[in-house]
Amino acid sequence: MSEAIWLAIVLPRLSTDRLIRSGSAPEGRPLAVYAKQAKGFLLTGVDKRASALGLRLAMSLADARAMQPSLAAVEAEPAEDAATLDHIAAWCERFTPIVVIDAPDGLFLDITGCGHLFGGELALCDMIVTRLQAQGFAARAALAPTPGAAWALARYGRAREASPDLVQTLAPLPIEALRLEEAPASLLRRLGLKTIGQLFSAPRSAFTARAGEQAMLRLDQALGRTPEALSPRRPAPPVFALRRFLEPLFSVETILIATQALCEDAVQRLDVRGAGVRRACLHLFGVDGRDRTLEIGVSRPERDIKNLMRLFREKLDRVAENLNAEFGIEAARLDVVQLERIGSATRTLATIEETQASTEKIASIVDVLSARLGPKRVLRPKLAETHQPEKAGGWQAGLGAVDVLEIERPPRDGVMRRPFTVFTQPQAIETLASVPDGPPIRFRWRRVLREVARAEGPERISGEWLGGALTRDYYRVEDKEGRRYWLYREGFYGEGEAPRWFVHGLFA
Amino acid sequence: MAAQPLHELCPAGPGAEAAAIGFGLGLASAWGGQVFWAGEEGVFAEEGAPYPPGLAQFGLDLKRLIVIRAAKREEVMWAAEEALSASGAVVICSLSGRGKPLDLKATRRLLLFAERNHARCLLVRPLAEASAAWTRWRVAPAPSSDDPHELGQPAYALELMRNRGGPAGARYTIQWNAHARCFDERFKEKREAVFRQEARQA
Repeated sequence: MSEAIWLAIVLPRLSTDRLIRSGSAPEGRPLAVYAKQAKGFLLTGVDKRASALGLRLAMSLADARAMQPSLAAVEAEPAEDAATLDHIAAWCERFTPIVVIDAPDGLFLDITGCGHLFGGELALCDMIVTRLQAQGFAARAALAPTPGAAWALARYGRAREASPDLVQTLAPLPIEALRLEEAPASLLRRLGLKTIGQLFSAPRSAFTARAGEQAMLRLDQALGRTPEALSPRRPAPPVFALRRFLEPLFSVETILIATQALCEDAVQRLDVRGAGVRRACLHLFGVDGRDRTLEIGVSRPERDIKNLMRLFREKLDRVAENLNAEFGIEAARLDVVQLERIGSATRTLATIEETQASTEKIASIVDVLSARLGPKRVLRPKLAETHQPEKAGGWQAGLGAVDVLEIERPPRDGVMRRPFTVFTQPQAIETLASVPDGPPIRFRWRRVLREVARAEGPERISGEWLGGALTRDYYRVEDKEGRRYWLYREGFYGEGEAPRWFVHGLFA
Repeated sequence: MAAQPLHELCPAGPGAEAAAIGFGLGLASAWGGQVFWAGEEGVFAEEGAPYPPGLAQFGLDLKRLIVIRAAKREEVMWAAEEALSASGAVVICSLSGRGKPLDLKATRRLLLFAERNHARCLLVRPLAEASAAWTRWRVAPAPSSDDPHELGQPAYALELMRNRGGPAGARYTIQWNAHARCFDERFKEKREAVFRQEARQA
């Protein structure tokens, strides 16, 4: 925990910056955003110009207008602001997979282990601030070993980085820097506690009973004495690898090279854990601020870079046209979303591997096929214990563990009682001659007349099994040419309407 | 046949497609190993979708069967090439007769992939001209028994139309033995009996 590095970002003018960026703010006038609150209309955002003219947050709209008649005031749109914040959070994912939204105007980034890619944590901090400013967002950021301390520094501190002694770093900051709600903050102020330092020396027991409880919790969190659980925008992947490119990548080939490097990094980390990839996401971050995601899944823990690359190559080839990489890709991240420990079985002697090589190879082929054609097109059979023909056999995605199948052996007499193909929709046929309670003698299907040479049946499948449908009598029928059909009659003779006949499947 | 990497099974006419696939499935089952059955969606719509209980009764090892439902022919060919990288596998390609027939180059690629990995490919498709296959069979269904009240084991009438390794033109009627997972040539005994009778009369 103590080695973590958190970056807190604050966007103090998010709502006005958003309006200015979208071009909906009147030009050349100070801008403020207001919202209706308990005390009337209060300012919730002021732009730089308004701020310079002395307008402050929480000032009443009427006062502000009186002070600055030229003020352009726009009603707040919290949903829009939240969307913008989320957008910025998504953009920040190019620096780390762990981005926490700190509504309404902040973000936390866990940049543990990411700093070296950007020339150090401080350089990363500066880079994010500079780039946000270039995009029109006023931003401040600070680094600290805990989210709380980073938050305090970003908003109330001067330094961008906490000194090794956190207590000393936090002591001069006002108590508001502890992320307090308004009530406890004003209570502490009334008690004469203005800085965090004063809080350190105050007797703890005096607070816990009163509203100071929150303050003590926040203080402990900021100092790292109490862990703080934050929920990132996306669940943090157990293993990830990140690369930033000095020159944006444009071609699929260069992206593939980068992907290979990421795979190598990730596999190295997986090796330490003795695990392999089950599911991984490749994020390609464009200079245009968009994030393209490619996901691959494999049926068994994979740690062979060649096999992983094959899957990504398939995916990339397929989306190459939609990649829209005309602005280039500036960073890429590989998240191992799901990993699985590699059992000792996978790492045994060569003799065993030889017999297993085939199933492993099959699994990797299934992975490649599923990646390109989609998992619903690459299927393994499954059988179910039911009389209802529609449900007795089905298909499951070839990916994933192989279910243990009921092994149905061919019958002793070698006679097939079930067809090898069935129609999703049984096809109606026209019977030209038939005897009651027997198979047709002649029937027409697909405009061809077929003479029945031999037939076996009926096999009755009652409506109960068919979910209230009519009872079906199934016959296995062979015509004079030797073509074999699975026919059924719906309903009985003498039961109202004449029974109808269908072809449900074909025998090989 | 088992020794060669690529064979073509052509239905003898409309309604014989099921027989051609049946012959292919029988071969795959008899040879053993992993079976990939890649088909165009159109073929599955026309002939019905593979039905596991029936396939199990036919004698296929369902644990070693993977069905690939491809939207178009290019996908079948691509999937087949991928699947052929599994040594010892049998890949059955079900292709419809729609569109331009498969060119020689495409079949050569299959041959190459199959040869390289000691896999085998069975191409089930309507009769076409050029092909790199070792053999081409015309497959028709055959009556499975003489009894009007009993269906026998699946029977096929075959004609060897092309054979790169030897003479062509032979005709066979075979019957699939699902239990033993092999084909038996049928009517052989009957024919021999007839010969013997004729010989005696002469």
